[in-house]
Formats: sequence, structure tokens, C-alpha cells
Amino acid sequence: MRDNGYSTAAFGKWHLTPDGQQGPAGPFDRWPSGWGFDYFYGFLGGGASQWDPVLAENQKIIGTPDGFYDEENRYYFPDAMADKTIEWLHAVRAQNARKPFFVYFSTGCSHAPHHVAKAWADKYQGRFDQGWDRLREQTFARQKALGVIPADTELTERNEAFPAWDDVPQHLKAFYARQMEVYAGYSENADHNVGRVIDVIEELGELGNTLIIWIWGDNGASMEGTITGSFNEMTMQNGIPLTDEMQLQLCERYGGIEAWGGDLMDPHYGAAWAWAGNTPFQWGKQVGSHLGGTRDPMVICWPERVTGNGGLRSQFTHVIDVAPTILDVAGIPVPSSVDGIDQEPMHGVAFTGTLIDPAAPEHRTQQYFETIGNRAMYKDGWWLAIRTPRIPWVVTPEALKPYAPGVWDPDADPAELYYLPDDFSQAHDLAAEHPEKVAELKELFWAEAERYQVLPLLAALSAFFGIVPPLPEQTRFEFRGDVQNVLSGMIPRIYNHSYAISADLVVPEGGAEGVIVAEADHLGGFSLFVDDRGKLTHTYSMMGVFIYRQQAEQPLPAGEVTVRIEFAADAPKPATGGEVTLFINDRPAGTGRMDHTVPIRFSGYAGMDIGRDNGGVVDRGYEDRKPFPFTGTIKKVVFDVKPHLAGEDEHLLHAAAHHGHAAHALAQ
Amino acid sequence: MKFDDETTDVLIGGYMSKNAAQEDYEAVLASGGYLHGAVVVSKDLQGNLSVEQTDRMVREGAAGLGAVGFVVGLFAPPLLAATAIGAVIGAGAGKLLHRKTASKLEEQAGATIPLGGAGLIVAYPHSAAAKVEPAVTRAIQKVVGEAEGHHVQALKGAIADAQQKMAESGS
Repeated sequence: MRDNGYSTAAFGKWHLTPDGQQGPAGPFDRWPSGWGFDYFYGFLGGGASQWDPVLAENQKIIGTPDGFYDEENRYYFPDAMADKTIEWLHAVRAQNARKPFFVYFSTGCSHAPHHVAKAWADKYQGRFDQGWDRLREQTFARQKALGVIPADTELTERNEAFPAWDDVPQHLKAFYARQMEVYAGYSENADHNVGRVIDVIEELGELGNTLIIWIWGDNGASMEGTITGSFNEMTMQNGIPLTDEMQLQLCERYGGIEAWGGDLMDPHYGAAWAWAGNTPFQWGKQVGSHLGGTRDPMVICWPERVTGNGGLRSQFTHVIDVAPTILDVAGIPVPSSVDGIDQEPMHGVAFTGTLIDPAAPEHRTQQYFETIGNRAMYKDGWWLAIRTPRIPWVVTPEALKPYAPGVWDPDADPAELYYLPDDFSQAHDLAAEHPEKVAELKELFWAEAERYQVLPLLAALSAFFGIVPPLPEQTRFEFRGDVQNVLSGMIPRIYNHSYAISADLVVPEGGAEGVIVAEADHLGGFSLFVDDRGKLTHTYSMMGVFIYRQQAEQPLPAGEVTVRIEFAADAPKPATGGEVTLFINDRPAGTGRMDHTVPIRFSGYAGMDIGRDNGGVVDRGYEDRKPFPFTGTIKKVVFDVKPHLAGEDEHLLHAAAHHGHAAHALAQ
Repeated sequence: MKFDDETTDVLIGGYMSKNAAQEDYEAVLASGGYLHGAVVVSKDLQGNLSVEQTDRMVREGAAGLGAVGFVVGLFAPPLLAATAIGAVIGAGAGKLLHRKTASKLEEQAGATIPLGGAGLIVAYPHSAAAKVEPAVTRAIQKVVGEAEGHHVQALKGAIADAQQKMAESGS
């Protein structure tokens, strides 16, 4: 679009820049600017806190917005995103009254964390007390009344993976209902902010000839909150199973049910709410075999060209058809070369014809789907669904074992077959009646999977099978100056093995306080800091479930001081426990044990800072002084990420730790 | 019924929030079962400790819960690989039993309760178990230890038994 005369801008979620490229060293070819956008304001990851996101603007990580610290006028990303879009539109028009514009507006909503002001959630108070089963029935009836689903559609049955609402213990119902109230408020707020942008386009007098494509959802509503819903969405991604009572208590720890949606939690609602959100289909996000995990609503507005407001289009369409359609509408040919680089042909097909003519013929006759081993093949109305029997949100070792590479036989997974023209919701499995169609579509899936580089299939995130990028050859990472907002996927990888973090400091006479280095926040992260009594302290949050704190016995001396925290892992294994020892000038100064550590990732979005703790803090003890900048001088911070300490080193570290324990006991 | 004459039970509950522990504590007090004592301890995210107790044994001039030592084991959800948090807590618990004065209660609890966690200890004659134990509904981990003998010795024995069970349930 940019190369064809459009002003272009992207706002919100990006998620196309690999972890290791999200910093000032780039490369930037997979940043928004590398993809044709003149301007970008948003976040590079897959999700973001809506209260304290680590933001990027153009080619720079700008970190936590200043408004996070303004208690009177609190920053909220969805509002800011709309503000920035409006500001950009106004600026473009101020310069050039005629130049066409292209905006990619990708809200963080309704992806987790479900963050919204209480007032928005309260608008839905009591609206979900009937539970997910009844909500599905009500939604289904409304869909029929509106005519957005065929009149003969059947409501699919509840899979036994989801509990019946009537079986939810009475004392937990308010907890569950609030999860959905927050989700609803969060969604309405996003809709409100989209409306603000559209209003401005209308004020500019350009709505009539602006094509607006609105797609809503998260691969189908997301079930990643597990059955219980989670106070911290990252608990599921780290494979931490928590019961509903545990979730409720953790919610209480961070402010209670009324605080769900606030900045002390990164919440995600329960899977059964997502299933209800996918009415009338089965399943949801991660289950790419079924429509609940693949089908999202799309609404298109183009007043001067698409007439008949409220019309329906039922031609089978895939998201990859959107880009060819935009190019087609704009009269721009699909490029075969950009900046001298040959382009892969677009796989989508323009659906422009359906915009003008509701009776336009089907533009696409087949499409494969695949998400984490769950897969489907659509052809001429037939839909082959192959779902791995694993429940998507259960990632325990026992559940994953049958799906390990080399163990799992994808062809042994049960197959279902549906014919969508007669069965909109996939309520009737025809596999037993049409084995030849099952075989044909299975074969076609494998061919398509090979053609489009889907292979090799994995039945869960690769990290759960221990398939992770190799540890970098570099094992020592130095940070000098006030490096801030290192994105979570770029921090030195300290998970699942021993490591050391040291810092060279200058402590003034009279002492110092503040953060030396901090990663993420109280819902997962670590902080090495000096408290207001001058004591070196290390706090480690295992996803907000377990919080460990170790502290030196004596305050730091003045002058040049070297401090270090060493974690001696019990074994190089996921979530390993281990002993922590604090050192001041190479002498043990404090010890402690951490029984559980984070196996995969502290945070999906919070960053690491040297000399302060931006955004939400790791240790709530200094929350009132955030970002709690260090008052001395930090010459450098060094991470030593060893694959694992040698046996001799391990022994020495444990010996030091035990010595510290004994000294601590004697001092009491 | 005289305390000396029967089995003493000690219930230990572990919690992830103060609210839950407090609810169970109040439910125990309202259960109608005779209590030798009950203590609820929690530590907030800043590290501040809060202790609330009712200790009939102290009022009667005997050594109470605070005097014989305090410990609580907390939840151990299995993670990717099984770990033994309970065993660690159990090991530390043995040392705490040797505390001699009630004034050490907060210090002991401070060293034992994790940030954001809470614990409940209730001591009661076994005859009250049918009323007391059902009142504890929100504990993530709940164990009951028991012992017979002289009241202080019985209490110590019951706590030790509960600690042992807590350690085993967490491993």
C-alpha cells in the first residue's frame, strides 16, 4: 500500500517480530516498518498488559507509558491506541487532504490479559449468573432471531471436558461469573474505541469511500484460561496446574474478585466461557479441527459500494483472503517483487465479488487448518476434523507423554466428518457413513500440509517436549548504563538451570537503595534490589503463585561494591528448585531456597530494566516507590548463564548455602 | 471432658490467601466444637505478618500453641516435574518445635509463611473433630495429626504428627 501511494499506519498488536529481534539491534525487516507501515504504535508480542504495556513506536521500544504512574489520569492502552490513531489521521489530513490512507488497527482485546476498568465490567454485573450452558442457549436463540445462522442450525452438545454450570460449587459461581463480566466489559470497551476511530473518519467526510473490515475474536474465543480461569494467564503457558479453589485464593491475594481486570492480575476467563462465546460451535482456540477454534465473525462496511446494510455473505472465506481483497479493491496488483526481492505468491483469493453480489459464486473451494496438531481439511462443503484427544489446556507431563515426537501417530487420531451446507454448526459426524471421503480428505490434508510448510506436526508447543532453541553460545551478558525495557523474550535465558547475576556498584556514603535489575513484575519475574535499610535483596516470583525473597543480613558498605546472586539448581530440569546465595564482595551474605522456578517464561509482555523496575513491580514491598530507581551508581550488570554448574561448583555453592543457613539459625 | 484424658488433634491448613484462612478460622470458632486453641497467620505481599489467635490453654495458664511452637506447611501443586516442597517445609518444622516462648510465635511464623500465603492451626480434643474439621473448607492442604498424653506433650506430639503428614502430602 505504501509503495502505491497510501499513507500507512499500524496500531496495537503486531506479533510478527521474532523474540530475538525486538531490540535496537534489529534487524527491522520484520518490524511494522519493514512490512510497509509508515508509522507504528503498539506492542510487538502476542499480548500486552493494557495497563502497563511495554510499547514500541516505529523502530524503538519506548517502554512503559508515563501515564502508568499518573494515579489521577491512569493510562489505558485501548484508549491510547484509539487516541494515537485519531492523532495520526488528523496529522495526515493536515498535511495532505487527498492522499489515501491504510490503517491496521489490531486491538489487544479480546486476547488476554482481560484488563478493563471496573466500571466497564460492572455494566455486566449479574448478566452471566445463569452460567455458560444457559448463556449458549440464549445466544443461540438470538443468533436465530437475527438470522445470522441458518434456521436449521443445531446447537452442539457440551463436551465432557467442560463442566456443567449446575455442577460448579455454589461458592465459586460469583468468581466464574465475574470472569465473564470483565471479558464482556473489556470487549465492549474495545468496540467503543473502534467506534471512536470510525467517528473521526466520518467527521473527516471520508466514511463513504472507506472500506472497513472488522474481524473479531482470538482464533475462536480462547480456552487458555483452563477450566478454572486464571488470575495469571501465563500459569497455563508454564504448565502450572491450579485448582479452582487455588485460583480463587490467588485472586483474593491480588485484590479479590472485584479486582479481576485490574492491574494486579493478568486474568483469563475459564474455558467454558470461551466455549459459550463460540456458540453454536464445538471447542475454541487451539482446536483448529473444529469451527469453534477457527471461525470468527467478520463485518464489512463500505457505504458507497456495499449497499443493503445488514446483508449476509455465506461464501466460505479464510483470513488469508483479506489481503488479496484489499489489493483488489484498491486496484493494486499482487506484487511479484518488492524492493528487488521475489515474493511468494499470495495463497488467498479475493472475495471482492461477494461484497457487491450476495449471490456471487464461492471463491474458494478448499482450505487446510492446523493448530498444535489439531487439524482440518475443508473441500466443497465437506470438513474433515481430526482432533488430538488431548485436552488443549492440560499440559501435564502425563497428558503430553502420548504426543511426544516419535510416540504420537497422527493418523491414529479419531476423525470426524461434517457437511457444512447441511450442518452449519458441525453437530452431525458423518465419518462412519463416508469412509471414502474421510480417506480422500486425509490424503489431501497431508498434501496441503507439505505444500504450505505445516510439517512436521507437533501436538503441543514445542517447549513442552523440550524442543527449544539451542542455548546461545554466549553465556555471559553484560548490561551497562540504564538499559530498559528489554522485552521478555530477549532476557538472558535463566530458566531451568543454575545461573549468576552480578553487579558492580558504587554506594555513596550514607547508603543507597533501589533496583539493580528487575525482570517483569509480581506475577512472574525477579528483582535484585537494595531495600530502604540498605540490604541487598532478591525477590523471585514464580508466576505469582510462589514468591521467594532472600536478603543479606547486613547493609551494603559504601564505596565500590560487587554484589552477586547465585542460583544453584538442584538439577538442570524444568521448574527446578535450588539454593540461592547472595554475595557482597564475594562473601556469602544471605541465603534461601526456591522450591519451584519458572520453567518457560516469566511474562509475555513485561520487560527487564537495569537500575529500576518499570511498570508493575516485582516486589510489592517497594510498590509505593516505583520504579524505585537505584540511588547509587551501577557500573554494569552481568548475567552468567551457564548450562549447568559443574559438580564441584555445585557442591561449593550448596556448601555455602548450608553454611549460610546455619549462620542464620545461630543468629536468632 | 478433661484435656488430659483424651486424644488431642491438631489440624494444619495451608492457604494462598489471607481471606481464605480467615474464613476458615472464623468458621472453626463458630463451629461449636471445643477448641484448645486456634491461630491464623498470614503474610502479605509486602512481607507484613498478621497473626490472630484464640488460645484457651494460655488463658488456663498452660503452655499454648504459641508456646510449643508454630509451623505451617503450604500447598504443593505438582509442576512439570514432581518436587518435594512438603519435605522441605517438614524439615524446617522440626526445628521450630523447639521454640520455648509464645513471644516467638510471630518470628517463627515470619520465617515459615511465604509471601502472600497463610496458615491455620487448630488444636482440639478428638471428641470435637466432627464439628471442627468440616468447618475447614478452603484449605489448599489440610492435615490432622493426633497424639495422646499430658496436654503439652500431647500438643507437641499432635503438631509433629500433623507436620509429618503435611510433609508427606507435599512430596
